[in-house]
Amino acid sequence: MAAIARPTIFHRACQAAAGRRMFSTTPSAPLMTSAFTTAKPLARRPLKAALLRDALPKAAAFHASGSQKILPPLPQVVKGTANDPVPVPSPHPTHGSYHWTFERLIAGGLVPLTIAPFVAGSLNPVMDATLCSLLIVHSHIGFEACIIDYFPDYRVPGLRTALMWILRIATVTVGVGLYEFETHDVGVTEAVKRIWKA
Amino acid sequence: MPRLSGLQRNVVSLYRQCLRACGKKPIETRDNFRRFVRNQFRENAAGIDKKDFAAIEYMIRKGQRQLEIYKDEGIRNVV
Amino acid sequence: MAALRMSPARLAQSLRAAPISPAWKRTMASVVPPSQTSTITEPAPDKDAKIKTFQIYRWDPDQPTSKPRMQTYTLDLNKTGPMVLDALIRIKNEIDPTLTFRRSCREGICGSCAMNIDGVNTLACLCRIPTETSHQSKIYPLPHTYVVKDLVPDLTLFYKQYRSIKPYLQRDTPPPDGKENRQSRPDREKLDGLYECILCACCSTSCPSYWWNAEQYLGPAILLQSYRWIADSRDEKTAERYDALNNSMSLYRCHTILNCSRTCPKGLNPGLAIAEIKKGMAFA
Repeated sequence: MAAIARPTIFHRACQAAAGRRMFSTTPSAPLMTSAFTTAKPLARRPLKAALLRDALPKAAAFHASGSQKILPPLPQVVKGTANDPVPVPSPHPTHGSYHWTFERLIAGGLVPLTIAPFVAGSLNPVMDATLCSLLIVHSHIGFEACIIDYFPDYRVPGLRTALMWILRIATVTVGVGLYEFETHDVGVTEAVKRIWKA
Repeated sequence: MPRLSGLQRNVVSLYRQCLRACGKKPIETRDNFRRFVRNQFRENAAGIDKKDFAAIEYMIRKGQRQLEIYKDEGIRNVV
Repeated sequence: MAALRMSPARLAQSLRAAPISPAWKRTMASVVPPSQTSTITEPAPDKDAKIKTFQIYRWDPDQPTSKPRMQTYTLDLNKTGPMVLDALIRIKNEIDPTLTFRRSCREGICGSCAMNIDGVNTLACLCRIPTETSHQSKIYPLPHTYVVKDLVPDLTLFYKQYRSIKPYLQRDTPPPDGKENRQSRPDREKLDGLYECILCACCSTSCPSYWWNAEQYLGPAILLQSYRWIADSRDEKTAERYDALNNSMSLYRCHTILNCSRTCPKGLNPGLAIAEIKKGMAFA
């Protein structure tokens, strides 16, 4: 990983901690400098050294856990020569522009639907049903975006498919649950109203 | 053959790509290219610990770039 | 929970043993902190010198087994120009000739000296040196790039992506007067804020979406360039350009985080350009 610059915020925090810990790199604190010149990354050091460090600012302990990257970057792969363009994927409007428009319509539609029942002050099962279904679709799209973002197809295809199915099952379960809640209980709007007043 | 890790497979694949590129060179200098490739891999492998992933990743990157240059048809021989 | 029940000795052992696994080694992209590297100081400082400390990311590809490290340099600001690039050039000229960075125009036109200064991606030539000397300036290469050496990032993928959007005028019909493709003044004004982009990659490398999906997502800089050609009244391939972006990855990984607009050293707004592309595609 040495070849890969990853100055993330976390990293910088560590660096900042290291900088502060030493007060500066001038030899004004020779004792401390000598204590840490042989230091390997903190997490690898025995407990004794870690305890010794506790006398110093707390950020050191933060570093001791080590940064765990969930999907560390792979070695760089350049497909084709450096002068070839990256391949352009074939157009899929259902995943692209239509999807985006649909997503925006849903998100936009949720706003009046959230306010309307409380402004109107009346309970309408049709409105409740619309609100519920839009909520489900909205959250499904949101979680789907998270999965697409963090579990790339080319890295973890199996996990990606599994998570997508888990999401679908969860969405259906939530749908069934909300249906039951609407038909056999008070319904979403009424529930929010009661919790609000409670 | 033991199961290779992803990185090991990358190295082997680079080596194969290099040998395949050698096959496209003029027949009289082909052996020079093969020797060159083999020496490069040997020399670099000697200096790097097999668990030093960062270094190996870097060497693969460098190798890919070198291969891209040496692939050029204008390069007909190496010494 | 198991760890809580362990004896201190076992705990110490596990602390030592656990991180040695290859997974840990891979994940811990440890930069050797400045406390472990020597400080290179200003030669012959004056009495009233304004000494400023810089910590600069160093990595030498000639020793691939070495870890990247933070090298500390001190400079007298009275003898240094006002910009960070001046400081870097002075370090290279007078203190440490091995420091490597890209630079060319030193006035924010070429986009070579893009780097991460005090946590912000910017052009070193447009970034003033913070004058408070108590604060150390930290300089890294652009984040989430493969480093070629020291502050030089590998932008191969970035340029390959740029090539993929066909950044040139595409027309099938010849100009009506047979000479040049004319453009009205309002049409030309649509390109303001787009043509100034110098492709320094500051915005792309500050975008979290681009960090996670650089292979498939094009990133703000490339999308801004794409919009520059979509918005151009003389270009006739707008539909094809839209089609090239019309999939889940190329464009729609933008979640309007807007780090791009915040970091752009030229003061452009890639976020707005991406929004315009999305709007154009929704109503196309």
